[in-house]
Amino acid sequence: MASLGSFVLLATFVVSIYAAAISVAGARRGSRRFVESGIGALYLTTALATVASGIIVHAFVVGDYTIRYVQQYSDAAQPLFYKLTSYWGGLDGSILFWVFLLSLFGTIAVATNRERHRELIPYVVAVIAVVQAFFLFLMIVHRNPFDTFLTAVPDDGRGLNPLLQNPYMVIHPPSLYIGFVGMTIPFAFGMAALITGHLDDAWLRAVRRWTMLSWLFLSFGLTLGMIWAYEELGWGGYWGWDPVENAGLLPWFTATAFLHSVIVQERRAMLRIWNVTLVIVTFFLTIFGTFMTRSGVVQSVHAFGEDRDLALMFTGFMALTLIFSFGWVIRRLPLLRSRNELDSWLSREAAFLANNWILLFSALFVLFATMFPTLSEAVTGERLTVGPPFFNKWMAPIGLILLFLTGAAPLLAWRKSTASNLREQFLWPVAAALVTGGALVALGVRAWSSGICFALCGFVTATIVQEFYRGARVRQGATGTDLLTAIIGLVGRNKRRYGGYIVHLGIVLVFFGFAGDGFKQEEQVLLKPGQSATVGHFTVRHDAIRVTDDGQKQMITGHLTVFEDGREIGRLYPAKWFFRKHEDQPTTEVAIRRSFAEDLYVVMPAFDLKDQSASLHIVINPLVNWIWVGFGIMALGTGIALLPDTAFAFATAKLPAAAAARTTALLLTLLFALPGAVRAQHNDTGQPVPVVARTPFERAMQKKLICMCGGCGRQLLSECQCGMASDMRAELARLVSEGRTEEQIIQYYVAKYGSQEPLAAPIDEGFNRLAWAVPYLIGLGSFGLLGVIAFRWTRRREAAATPDPAPADPALEARLDEELRDLD
Amino acid sequence: MTHKALKIGATTVVLVLAFGGLLWSTLQDGTEYYKHVDEVMAQPDAWYGKRLQLHGYVVPASILRKRDSLDYKFKVESKGYVVPATYSGIVPDTFKDDAEVVLKGTLTPEGFQVEPNGVMAKCPSKYEPKSGSATAPPGV
Repeated sequence: MASLGSFVLLATFVVSIYAAAISVAGARRGSRRFVESGIGALYLTTALATVASGIIVHAFVVGDYTIRYVQQYSDAAQPLFYKLTSYWGGLDGSILFWVFLLSLFGTIAVATNRERHRELIPYVVAVIAVVQAFFLFLMIVHRNPFDTFLTAVPDDGRGLNPLLQNPYMVIHPPSLYIGFVGMTIPFAFGMAALITGHLDDAWLRAVRRWTMLSWLFLSFGLTLGMIWAYEELGWGGYWGWDPVENAGLLPWFTATAFLHSVIVQERRAMLRIWNVTLVIVTFFLTIFGTFMTRSGVVQSVHAFGEDRDLALMFTGFMALTLIFSFGWVIRRLPLLRSRNELDSWLSREAAFLANNWILLFSALFVLFATMFPTLSEAVTGERLTVGPPFFNKWMAPIGLILLFLTGAAPLLAWRKSTASNLREQFLWPVAAALVTGGALVALGVRAWSSGICFALCGFVTATIVQEFYRGARVRQGATGTDLLTAIIGLVGRNKRRYGGYIVHLGIVLVFFGFAGDGFKQEEQVLLKPGQSATVGHFTVRHDAIRVTDDGQKQMITGHLTVFEDGREIGRLYPAKWFFRKHEDQPTTEVAIRRSFAEDLYVVMPAFDLKDQSASLHIVINPLVNWIWVGFGIMALGTGIALLPDTAFAFATAKLPAAAAARTTALLLTLLFALPGAVRAQHNDTGQPVPVVARTPFERAMQKKLICMCGGCGRQLLSECQCGMASDMRAELARLVSEGRTEEQIIQYYVAKYGSQEPLAAPIDEGFNRLAWAVPYLIGLGSFGLLGVIAFRWTRRREAAATPDPAPADPALEARLDEELRDLD
Repeated sequence: MTHKALKIGATTVVLVLAFGGLLWSTLQDGTEYYKHVDEVMAQPDAWYGKRLQLHGYVVPASILRKRDSLDYKFKVESKGYVVPATYSGIVPDTFKDDAEVVLKGTLTPEGFQVEPNGVMAKCPSKYEPKSGSATAPPGV
């Protein structure tokens, strides 16, 4: 199989090169057949990359340890789920995954645009094929995932790193990759536009959705990375300005800038050079980010291995990309001249420009600070480093300026704002900011920088509310519906604009969460059983340390009781897990008591079994959950902006107002009623060290039942040490030997004790593990619901079209359009 | 040179200078020297009071912990030079004899004082198999 895999890679490489060559030849000669052949070749690379991925996944599933990569990143004991995801667990596989995604995206982009943007397509194919060929080249000459052992073949694999055996780490990399790889498509279209000289807005329209979608996945990936760092690494925070994190953030800045500056080009035909540049820079940064994290150029505490050859190849590719793309920009400068000039600094385009500069500056600053140790060593010979405080000192004010612009830009008019419309537009938002600020000062909240952030959050929220309200009033006046229907209609009429405002609302919540960091409290203590420590208004008492084992890992769990203002409010179980074969690098299992006001976050980095003492790191993280909720709202907003036009037909048409109002009410309930204190921590499950369960099924059953002795506080059957528990375990063993199924056993216990009391089910670990997903589910769910309802109504309207001779009054419609435009 | 180009040029120069100046001044107190024990201890006087990231190896059997507390005393060395260090707080798992560590803090005549959370134990195997092949955590 391995040699087949290597062969497929080689074939994909050859086909990619062919696709690039034939497309360019076709475009230059004007040969339709050549161009078609190039497109076909690109489709073929997708098929081949799928086959190669299939081979490596198959090797993981069957455990083909003759392949080095499989041997290094999986073992027989791993659950199937993690075997599948080991595919992108290491460098070689992640490159293959990259190629697979790129070919897939390229195929979709070409297939959907080949008729509409006929003149661009050959060069789009060529650019995608060349990028693809580079990554294939890396694999073939340097990092082949199908490399085999030449001599002795090991019996079992080394296993995936325990830190990566975590649900977030399963979704996080693909999400980030989708974002990274997706940015290649806008780049390919931009380059095609430059090369062909078709520099009107056509290429922008072709890539708008791709950029938005990639941006969404990039944001999702970054958020998941934060959650992973927060819940799995256990240092008490979510963002440490580590080079690896920064690598993902760099293209996010420039992509955000691009999404905004595109609007200026569409509306005012300005910033054309700038847009092309942003696309190129974004693509460059995705490659650079990969290079930075994979080649060992930047040293980080995470200490990646160094790989000089890889670094050289990447450097070569990046240099060529820059020379080639900026070469074309310079060549096309005459065609890229802006048709309009900036009229006034008090205009929306000026605000967008400022936003772009700041985002680009952020990207450059983060890049500079990340590379600083390397740069200073190269220049002065002294290795100087900068830490998170340096990043924060710069990024906090930059973030606040961006937040301010988020609120201010929509209030400014295009071209030039007059004094009177400034007054009218800014009155309420500024009042909101002042009221928030005043209230905070009265409450004695620190002004810098969290206080300012809160005030700005008030400002931006007021802007968004005002935009929605004013737009809806105009629509209401024109259509005579209720306010809620008018709002939906408004969103449907300009999905990108109002979807964008919803994204801004998400950003506000994210900033709200960031500001909470200013009120963080933390303490490191050493506690013996019975001792307690107080942080803020929480007191944590250390009760005991227990040792359990579930076959894959040994778990040391601290049992803590938490008091709030003297009242007992719950228990927390921070733990350390020692995975087999990775005993020297235990994972830290954080215990978190979540609420929307604050998280109580407890880690047990060290323990002493002799005297049962535990070293605890106790952190209070205020408002942190709003960051995740904010992302959910951002996803919802992006989703709305991405919806097809027909999706909102129901609301822009005439429809029963009550129905639309009901939908909205439902959506709002979904968004706001779900919250409640969600707690996520691992449950103290597993086997007491003297192992008694004989089969995995029996072990699993012991964890589903609790000890009924009444004296040990509903401990799991697998855990409790009392006599009653061992009797119950013996009984369970008998039932299992009789061959009863899980359902029968549960029925037996329910019948025996007359209730569901012996079931441990309410403390379902699966649910707790999923708790993080709530905001996303809300976002996706409401988005999905909206779509379904929208499509249903669209259909119904078609069916009932006859009795309703739709747009009643063309003049009215025209006036509405006019008014909406004025609002713009 | 037109009037407009002059204006743009002047604005750019002013902005670049302003940012450059700000960057320079914040870099002054934001940076730390990254040094190995031997480089520092060859001339310790020159380094007193400066913020350092000190790279070295924990001297075997030198880690002492005060009873029932999180106060540590230990020694780090590289190329024959040794410096005593003090730290108060939780240490990472990989902090043990012979571990390769990076300490953040300042050097005083009494020894190296590590700031809170300033102990980073480098573990080459954190994200990759022990063979030392290069991998990052996927993505990030």
